Amino acid sequence: MVKKDEVQKPKRKQFSLDVSDLENFVYDMSRCVKCKGCKWVDHIFIEGINYSIRCPSSLWKPYDAYGAFGKMRIGIALYEKRLEWTEKLLEILYACTLCGACDVGCKRNLDLEIGLALESLRIKAVREGAAPLPAHREVISNVLKTHNRFGLKNEGRENLQASLRFKKDRSILYFVGCLSSFHEFHIPEALCKVLMESGWGFEFLDEEWCCGNVIYSLGMIEEAKKIAERNVELIRSKKANVLLVSCAECYRMWKVDYPKILGLSTDELGFRVTHFIELAFDLLKEGYFRPRRKIERKVAYHDSCSVSRLCDPWVKWSGTRGWMGITDPPIKRRRGIFGLYLQARTILSSIPGLKLVELPRTRENALCCGAGRGTKEAFPEFSDFVVKERIKEVKDSGAEMLVSSCPWCKIHFRGALSDGGIDVLDISEVLALSL
Amino acid sequence: MAIKRDAYEILKGIVGEEYISDDPAICEAYRAGPGGYECALGYERVMTKIPGAVILPKTTEEVQKIVKVCNKYKIPFVPYSTGFYGPRSHCHVEGELLIDLKRMDHFEMDEKHLYVVVGPGVIYSQIQAEALKKGLHAIVGGGGSQVSAIANLLGDGWSPLSFRAGLPQRRILGTELVLPDGELLLLGSLALSDDPFWGEGIGPDLRGILRGYTGVRGCLGIVTKMAIKLFPFQPEPLVPIGISPNTALKLPVGRVKWINYQLPSREAMIKAMYEIGKAEIAGCVTRVPLFWRTLAKAESKEEFWELWGKESEETIKNSFIIRILLVGYTSEEQLKYDENVLTDIMTELGGIQRPTKPTDESWFKGADSAGMWLMCGSYVSVDYVVESISHAVLHGESFAKLKEKYTPPLMPDYGDPGWIQSFELGHTGYSEFLVYWDQDEDVKSVDHFYVETSKMNIRERFYTALLGPHQPLFLTGPRYGPNYHEWLLKIKNEFDPHWVCHPPLPLAHDQFVEKAPWMKEIKDWESPPRLPLPDEWK
Repeated sequence: MVKKDEVQKPKRKQFSLDVSDLENFVYDMSRCVKCKGCKWVDHIFIEGINYSIRCPSSLWKPYDAYGAFGKMRIGIALYEKRLEWTEKLLEILYACTLCGACDVGCKRNLDLEIGLALESLRIKAVREGAAPLPAHREVISNVLKTHNRFGLKNEGRENLQASLRFKKDRSILYFVGCLSSFHEFHIPEALCKVLMESGWGFEFLDEEWCCGNVIYSLGMIEEAKKIAERNVELIRSKKANVLLVSCAECYRMWKVDYPKILGLSTDELGFRVTHFIELAFDLLKEGYFRPRRKIERKVAYHDSCSVSRLCDPWVKWSGTRGWMGITDPPIKRRRGIFGLYLQARTILSSIPGLKLVELPRTRENALCCGAGRGTKEAFPEFSDFVVKERIKEVKDSGAEMLVSSCPWCKIHFRGALSDGGIDVLDISEVLALSL
Repeated sequence: MAIKRDAYEILKGIVGEEYISDDPAICEAYRAGPGGYECALGYERVMTKIPGAVILPKTTEEVQKIVKVCNKYKIPFVPYSTGFYGPRSHCHVEGELLIDLKRMDHFEMDEKHLYVVVGPGVIYSQIQAEALKKGLHAIVGGGGSQVSAIANLLGDGWSPLSFRAGLPQRRILGTELVLPDGELLLLGSLALSDDPFWGEGIGPDLRGILRGYTGVRGCLGIVTKMAIKLFPFQPEPLVPIGISPNTALKLPVGRVKWINYQLPSREAMIKAMYEIGKAEIAGCVTRVPLFWRTLAKAESKEEFWELWGKESEETIKNSFIIRILLVGYTSEEQLKYDENVLTDIMTELGGIQRPTKPTDESWFKGADSAGMWLMCGSYVSVDYVVESISHAVLHGESFAKLKEKYTPPLMPDYGDPGWIQSFELGHTGYSEFLVYWDQDEDVKSVDHFYVETSKMNIRERFYTALLGPHQPLFLTGPRYGPNYHEWLLKIKNEFDPHWVCHPPLPLAHDQFVEKAPWMKEIKDWESPPRLPLPDEWK
């Protein structure tokens, strides 16, 4: 009988989780077994024939190529230079919100780094001159030149800051984000109200720049790195303990993608990145405030991807892979278990009169709203298709109000629900209404 | 190689521009490997191709029209639902049309008469979720919840729940089949009326051709609709709990319960399986490979190998653990009765109860089946047997012995005899032998092992399921039958005279042995100098 020691061969390959080199993910792409865990809702949670797919791209186009299981095969072909960049290939890679549904689905059973492979493929596309797409030029130019998504004068952020009433506390810095700084003022207003009620304060940044989410998402890693270096250095220089955000995309960017790009772990940033729902959850639990006003509505909570399955802390890793794919040291997988699922639900459940209804696709199985990572600019028909699919689910649940923790989800839903019937709010706004 | 342009234009007219593509990236996504069931082995590398084009029909009529065009223009085609079965469900020849059936997601349930009618795009977990809402349940095959129920029932479909629910071929009721020439064949009661409630029809039961023991892997037409049997269940809900990856169905403990027993010997384990069947208690009785138990405990691949490294030939040799599912189908009292009977049986045989969790993630919604690949990255079940329990146990032990020679590159499992189950209340026994390897190794010997298992089955007279398209037909045909290969080829020629339906099946493994130089050394059986199939597929 063969003993384990006799078959373990000293085959070891050095690699890391550096997304700028696709070779790091060839193992993961080559081990995809087409189980389609990336496509379906976790089978334990599938509720029936409807709403059982969680991959937006697979829902939009049924060809295998649009699911991660197809993209992994395409990724291998690109790595082996068997495919050329074409318009169709770029659609396959970019009509995808990088929402992480595939990644946590795969890690239900297989622990393959699907999400990182998809990011790495976009970086390869940019390096080889195939991307970014023409439709992305404007937003890229806006972020790089004016430091906000809209091409507006960045000093405009100060108008909002001047209009808000808040208590000053230099230990917490509030990073407002582009959308709330220029359009969704109700979110920072609501955040201020909750913090004032709790007796807590914060300070704004002197010169806030866009977090660069869209730049990184398109695969422009060099540009994203420059933004990350500038922003992280700025926060470190302020010596604040906490960076507070109210945008899910900013949250993921600061907490996960900045350390990933900069070769750090999240806990090496030198400050803690906190989303409003984490802080509000703690303040509620510790009795700093109490929702008093009744809101007699049925509410559905939409788990925005970047505060749910995409926000596990980043742990930098390099090492070897050996026999049977064993990694040394063992990789600590990011499986989406640190998502802020409980926090959001606890906050909403604390509001008198509010009745929380769960959507069929919920928590780590949620269907993305379809707005993010450059899709709305380049593939508006895809973006519209996805949001309509999510709204159908919300309507079927009987909810009268749809709440999320991301301004981008909010405006995308509001645009698609302009016929009324269902109110769309950010969680901070609902909480502020209850005070 | 592209599909002929004029044929492509006609096909486009059938489904519309959106649902046909010959784009290289679209086609590349339908490559069989390198990962997946039986992938990264010689068969996948030598025998599979990417499609010449992909088409996604919505209706049976569209499928019929597509198949007729394929016959007219001699375009080879393969039906494809989820593609999970590995290379044998992917294209084998250049310029093949892959007919992706996932848009065919028709679903209806007749809860009164206990069946669902589904299209090939419907997967097991969808059916199970709908059935459970009505106090019924479906049987999720070993392929897991993610597989097309139709595809799985055409070739596999066994589950521990076959202990009470019976063999999968009997769950196939009224069925709609588009023959390889595009004609529509209705099976079961559908042949007589619109009601598909009944599996047997007038005349010979054609399910034998459609499926037989383990099916013909899509080379005799396309099933576009099937009625599938459901079963009565207990009324309490199975509640989904947890956050991925640790999700499970919480069982209502008064109604559904898993119990593990460690038996003192191999003989006691076999006896226990028979006795439970005789007593007509339980919902399933199964002996799982020990590495599955380790896999269920491990949080990662690395942890699996750390835990598995503590096992040895000695611990495996003395591991006689069976897992029993008790279901109070009629009442909580019935479950208590079953449990008391089980305790009596185990007391008599010296069984010791081992801890279990009040949850399930494997057999009601089969959510963890893809985890098979976690340990090594590559996997295939090399054989199934459905005969008696004693036969099944012997079969597993013989496999374990044969496997020694091929380890490495196969995963060291210290002689584990595989997966053994009691089916049909102990009237039949099931053995499935699973092997795992690292695809980065030289795996030519795994190709050898696969064929050598057939020779072992012939030599030791095991009633194997993996015949026909799974093994060289000219190796197994003359020894099982003695002429079933001739019959299978006659049927193929009759129904598919141009061999356009997934060529070169059912002779694909014969062709693989001819094409792969490393297979020559083990070819010691007679076959025709030229395989009897049309020249264009040779």
